[in-house]
Amino acid sequence: MDNFSNLMDGFAIAFSMFHLALMAAGVLLGILVGVLPGLGAPNGVSLLLPLTFTMDPVSAIILLTSMYWGALFGGSTTSILFNIPGEPSSVATTFDGYPMAQQGHATHALTLAFMSAGTGAMFGVVVITVLSGWVTEFALKFSSPEYFAVFLLTFASFIGMGSGSAFKAIVSMMLGFAFATVGMDGISGNMRLTFGFPDLVKGISFLVAVIGLFGIGELLQTMEEGLRFDGIHARVRIRDVLKAIASMPGHWLTLLRSAIIGAWMGITPGGPTAASFMSYGLAKRFSRRKEHFGKGEPAGVVAPETADHSAGTCAILPMLALGVPGSATAAVMMGGLMIWGLTPGPMLFIERPDFVWGTIASMYLGNVMAVVLVLATVPMFAAILRIPFSIIGPMIVVVCFIGAYSISGSRLDLWLAVPFGILGYTFKKLGYPIAPMVLAMVLGDKAEDALRQSMIMSKGSLGIFWTNSTLSATIMVLAMLLLFWPGVSLIIKRLRKPAVAATA
Amino acid sequence: MRTPSGTLVSRFTMELVTALVTGSIGAIVCYGSTEFGIGWGDAGPEPGYFPFYVGLIIVLASLFNLFMAFKHYRDRVEEFLTGEQAQRVIAFFGPMVLFVLVTSYLGIYVGMILYLVGAMVFQGGYRLPKAAAVGVITAIANYILFEVWFQVPLLKGPLEPLIGIH
Repeated sequence: MDNFSNLMDGFAIAFSMFHLALMAAGVLLGILVGVLPGLGAPNGVSLLLPLTFTMDPVSAIILLTSMYWGALFGGSTTSILFNIPGEPSSVATTFDGYPMAQQGHATHALTLAFMSAGTGAMFGVVVITVLSGWVTEFALKFSSPEYFAVFLLTFASFIGMGSGSAFKAIVSMMLGFAFATVGMDGISGNMRLTFGFPDLVKGISFLVAVIGLFGIGELLQTMEEGLRFDGIHARVRIRDVLKAIASMPGHWLTLLRSAIIGAWMGITPGGPTAASFMSYGLAKRFSRRKEHFGKGEPAGVVAPETADHSAGTCAILPMLALGVPGSATAAVMMGGLMIWGLTPGPMLFIERPDFVWGTIASMYLGNVMAVVLVLATVPMFAAILRIPFSIIGPMIVVVCFIGAYSISGSRLDLWLAVPFGILGYTFKKLGYPIAPMVLAMVLGDKAEDALRQSMIMSKGSLGIFWTNSTLSATIMVLAMLLLFWPGVSLIIKRLRKPAVAATA
Repeated sequence: MRTPSGTLVSRFTMELVTALVTGSIGAIVCYGSTEFGIGWGDAGPEPGYFPFYVGLIIVLASLFNLFMAFKHYRDRVEEFLTGEQAQRVIAFFGPMVLFVLVTSYLGIYVGMILYLVGAMVFQGGYRLPKAAAVGVITAIANYILFEVWFQVPLLKGPLEPLIGIH
């Protein structure tokens, strides 16, 4: 029950007027960011991060996580009302959410989405509360080789489990590592890859990369498609809200299944997007109303939303406990942690229990607040999308560049955001995944240090990752399995095919 | 003519260009790493060790992507960008670059006002007074939000001191 008393202490920290106000502000800003095209959760958190440099870390993380919840809700809103997913992870919500809204059940769909999202998030926080003590104990056994093995596992899962070309994922990730090495080397003090530019000594900030890759890249893509908002007018009627809430218990099986999928995909770095698609697919397969999916089936809204939020919440656990973020947004937040002077990882639970448990407690409060706020403000945010794009587009651009400049007050960052924007746009269109690059930029230094320290320990032999302990060997086996998963699954298929053919 | 009408850049071309660009970045990283040693020094791996292999992997994976581009996209008629899309992207991207250019000389507030007014008048078809009002109000709102509330100084140029803002 140690976790429980810690959690109560956490509530005592999180439950102050100032923190509640921060949560409300974060949630509202998050909804705004989630609703606007070109601004998503990773981007919103990056833009807000420079403003938290002077804040106390607990307040700062409360603001950022609340913004994350808000952005997830905002993404679902545009999916349902406009058929435009504000976030990649809410694409699956459009399949049934938009048809429901077209049939005049917008309120029902929105309420279902928000309630399932809230349920998924709650499930995620409970998982975090229960697991965090255990994960920490596990992680305290780690030394450099184990850390490198975990980093490798994270990266391998992005390469092996990704939907697109594995080699494109490798290029994207390695570019991230390369950008991370620019600037002063933490171990030797050498200036690396600056090519004589004094402005590059401080390195390339991952925040500029996120603002360019996600913000400007996405705006360019939105523009190319020609922006049209054929929105459905949403008037939230209390009676419909209550009716939708009353129908929630009927979805218990979908809720539970989706929440578990989400928790799993969030902790292992599958991410919310994969979780929501997988959950939608499974809900459809197991449903008795299969043929209704895609035409406005309520369970088709419940499933992806629950998994999306459950995964989004659970992604915070590996970030806090291992220093390995489970999603792009968690990666940005982890970068923030390091800027505030905290070291993510198991020691964080011992050195700063107030921070860890304050964060976890704020996740309970923040999610409840987010559900209430989003229901109350949906009509207002839907109205924002009716402002002509010739006004709102440039304003989003201005916000992105203010964010880029405010990271360190450098003119160079303004100019760096532009090529990152082009890179993001091109990569997205050609099927290069972007999240691995962000992850590599945030983790680059830590992964490199772990590798170099392991090499020093072993005097240059790569065998240390296999021989240092059973733990590191196990993680390495898992990493290799994930890395070569496309090849492995192909072999399994080949082996099974003759057998299937024989029985058929 | 293999390309469908209206195609400005084909997917194949873009796959090639991207693979070549990422490959060159990898090569530059490799070259930059050799400046301070990529082998084994007295205190373990030298500073260039990690970036060198990262660069090498980028080059190899880019070569593979190049190969895959030839294999998959060479004979396929797939556009990356049509003329119409390119127009829309440039209409958005061009003013944005101008905004960054103006901003780096005249500061972010002046850049923001000119950008918003320009976009509203030339692209949105608004009248100048309305556009000017929106631009100035946005600039003031940002000033209050960042400089006053959050105390984050934004980039200022030579014009702000004239009206007494430093």
